[in-house]
Amino acid sequence: MSDATLNEPVLSVRDLSVTFATRQGPLRAVDGLSFDVGAKEVLGIVGESGSGKSVAMYSMLGLVRDSNVAITGSVKFEGREILGLSDRELQSVRGGDVGMIFQDPMTAMTPVYKVGWQIVEQIRAHSDMTKAQARSRAIELLGEVGIPDPKTRVDHFPHEFSGGMRQRVVIAMALSCNPKLLIADEPTTALDVTTQAQILDLMSKLQESYGSSIVIITHDMGVIAEVANRVVVMYAGRPAEIGPEIDVVRFPRHPYTWGLLGAVPRVDVKNRRLVTIPGTPVSPLDVPTGCAFGPRCQHKMAICDERPILRGGDGHVDACWLSDEQRVAIRSQATVRGVADE
Amino acid sequence: MLRFILRRFASAVVVLFTISVMVYLIFFATPGVDPAARIAGRSASPAVVEQVRIAFGLNRPLPIRYLLMMDHLFIKRDLTSYVNIGDKVVPQILAAAPVTLSLVLGAVVIWLIVGVLGGLVAAANKGKFIDPLIMFLGIAAVSVPAYWLGEVVNLITQNELHSSVFAWLPAPGWVPLTQSPGEWALHLLFPWLTLAALYAGIYARVLRAELVNALNEDYVRTARAKGLSERRILLRHALRCSLISITSLFGLDVGALVGGAALLTEVVFGLPGVGLLTYNALENLDLPVIMGTVMYGAFFIVLASAVVDVVYALLDPRVRIV
Amino acid sequence: MSDEVLLRATDVVKSFTSRGKKLGARSLNTAVNGVSLEVKRGETLGIVGESGCGKSTLARCLVQLIPVTSGSVEFNGVELVGLSRRELRPHRREMQLVFQDPYASLNPRRTVGDIVADPMRINKMAGEREILERVRDLFVTVGLDPASVHRYPHEFSGGQRQRIGIARSLSLNPSLVVADEPVSALDVSVQAQVLNLMADLQDQLHLTYLFIAHDLGVVRHVSDRVGVMYLGEIVELGDAEALYQAPMHPYTEALLSVVPELNDTDAPRRERILISGDVPDPSDRPTGCSFHPRCPAATDICQREAPAFVELKPGRFVACHHPRNVDE
Repeated sequence: MSDATLNEPVLSVRDLSVTFATRQGPLRAVDGLSFDVGAKEVLGIVGESGSGKSVAMYSMLGLVRDSNVAITGSVKFEGREILGLSDRELQSVRGGDVGMIFQDPMTAMTPVYKVGWQIVEQIRAHSDMTKAQARSRAIELLGEVGIPDPKTRVDHFPHEFSGGMRQRVVIAMALSCNPKLLIADEPTTALDVTTQAQILDLMSKLQESYGSSIVIITHDMGVIAEVANRVVVMYAGRPAEIGPEIDVVRFPRHPYTWGLLGAVPRVDVKNRRLVTIPGTPVSPLDVPTGCAFGPRCQHKMAICDERPILRGGDGHVDACWLSDEQRVAIRSQATVRGVADE
Repeated sequence: MLRFILRRFASAVVVLFTISVMVYLIFFATPGVDPAARIAGRSASPAVVEQVRIAFGLNRPLPIRYLLMMDHLFIKRDLTSYVNIGDKVVPQILAAAPVTLSLVLGAVVIWLIVGVLGGLVAAANKGKFIDPLIMFLGIAAVSVPAYWLGEVVNLITQNELHSSVFAWLPAPGWVPLTQSPGEWALHLLFPWLTLAALYAGIYARVLRAELVNALNEDYVRTARAKGLSERRILLRHALRCSLISITSLFGLDVGALVGGAALLTEVVFGLPGVGLLTYNALENLDLPVIMGTVMYGAFFIVLASAVVDVVYALLDPRVRIV
Repeated sequence: MSDEVLLRATDVVKSFTSRGKKLGARSLNTAVNGVSLEVKRGETLGIVGESGCGKSTLARCLVQLIPVTSGSVEFNGVELVGLSRRELRPHRREMQLVFQDPYASLNPRRTVGDIVADPMRINKMAGEREILERVRDLFVTVGLDPASVHRYPHEFSGGQRQRIGIARSLSLNPSLVVADEPVSALDVSVQAQVLNLMADLQDQLHLTYLFIAHDLGVVRHVSDRVGVMYLGEIVELGDAEALYQAPMHPYTEALLSVVPELNDTDAPRRERILISGDVPDPSDRPTGCSFHPRCPAATDICQREAPAFVELKPGRFVACHHPRNVDE
């Protein structure tokens, strides 16, 4: 791979907005999202339910099948604009250069077909391999994702696998066409913690051998910290903070990120009170015109009625009106008090 | 699998036996129903009734009477009607069965083609103009009673336009397939369409609902993410999984229709099928014929549900075969 | 917290029979396999384990929601096993459950006020006027607007519904609240609110909690003592701090090592111990120690003999032939 292609992002999203026309008015699920995914990079998108993190990724691949949806902005995959492609053109992108892994491995496969059949189906949709070639590739893939005895298991039905094993099959399927980009939507949320560790481990190993870039969508800051190089924190369809994983976790800038990190009960340290964000996530139907987080923010100012833009430096940006001095003051105060109360 | 099939059919036999006992008890042992009086006729003297009772073995204990009935029905096959003395029940049913089978099987082909196509087209075009149109036609077909639709069809094809547009159509009635296949089909054409209309409506609606559900399933999202064509997703994934629930409906419908539930269509078009036979027997309270037709109907319904279970297990690998 | 034992379970077993794969064969599925534990008045005992480890079944056994197969459950010094429904009733009032799914555990056709009032009405605690008064008080206690008693569950968010579930569980003034995955269906910011609320209520009302969850962080956060379950057995039980700092059972150690960490300090990351395979089927329990097929420390004896659940340090019980961190 030449240097030029290395520098060019695999996926480049600019000002992506997804709006659903509903009876109660327009529902803006994603609002002005921009980010890049570099070659071999793992980008984490984190947010609570309704933050638009899944819709954003689904919409760019034509997986949001709703006639009332309007998608604007620009999404370039390997330099080629894919927003506005016909469904037929997107079909060759989906499953070919872009593989996907979903949250619930129990329901992600068609129950009536053997797993091998389902992998073969995908391979044959994107290449002209014969059935026999595709089948031996499927067996090979199942072995690679750690399914014991793949020659026999290839002829088993999805319900004959445990949850963790099923997720491995889904991963094998996603990798079957050597994708340049892998989108994993909450890939471990439905799994137990020991299985989650196995799957995350497998994903990083495979990422090394396949060299795919990964976008991992999750609500779990811990998973982000475990696997991601860079993070997009989303709130109400908008990016609240974007930056390198280590910076966002250690030096979070946005008050929402503060709350999100402080609200996680820790295994490694004991704190009697968790930081809470008052109220509930804003409904996408009535996102304020100003800062989306404003109504729940303890540091709300007059200017917050105006929508903040992403700013900052060194690739670490956030959408908040607080000045750097204010942030430092608030954070040191919070450390002294130990808590930020409801 | 073979073991499962054998077990399933063994239990079907048990069910049939139970049905025969219950039907026998209802029609022959219900207080107030005296078969001997029915056979002897309305103005028979008590002595005659008693004579009939002994002649038909109706004075013997209930279990023996049941066994005698079953012996006449299934083994000797010489059970005779109480009303039209001399008419044997079994040959009557055997003569009526091909009529009903012809009617139902032809209708099945039509309603499956129309219903499945309608459901597929509607589900694939959900939210567009064609979807509600098909669903409206479906509900209209379901709502129109078969006897009314049949009468209207007869009115149009046999009266109003018989001398012009439908001159090619023979008068209603029954021609056996073995006698003349062309005549057979021609005679059955409108009965088929009439019977199929109702079921095509039902199946299109049910299948659409199933498909719309299936298309919202996670595995369809996975199929899209794999880059499969919409056509393949609809046919190989969504339809394949929807068929599982359609199958049980289909099996029971066919079983019931072959068993006599096509009665109204048979009456309207003058087809001497099992439904018509049952209808006449019930009107005359002709107990042996009722017994025979009920057992015949029960046989097909129980058979159909056993076949459904086997097919179900074949279609859905998650059904554990014990 | 006092040393008074509120709930004592001794060797509780719960098995279900299910039809086996072969004709006529019945397999025995032992969901809870000989669990002994004590819950002290005023404390929070956390039970943590992966799905299928039997933690929810254990909770239901302890409050006599389902009958135990064998063993004893003493509550307030009274043996509950073998009591009739009528005899159980006064004790049931003292033990209330909070469920996982705030969407499924509230009757959608009743107003939330009625949902909270019903337990009091059924137990004829007071007159209707007083009950309604108390419902409003309970709403305030759990942080809901008392004016919303006439609304229906679907008008509330997940976190608010869980508050309603908590209010309902408190309506009969229980001494023990058994919470089965009360926050696992909630978003993290809402989860923190509910956990803080539960902590406040414990202080205010002197409640004892049996807190069941799969999330190790949540369990550490709320618990004074923690029991770790694997395949229907408690493999390790002890003070939460000590157990999380220095786990003694290899399963606990592995479990803690693989929880994704925020890694926001310079402290070295815990070394991850990946255990392979899946939890075995409870109807096909391994011989000896249940964990041995997946255990990195297993030896011959682990295959042959089930380890006893013994107190290795004061208040620290472990069922393992090769415990870790014994000297710490």
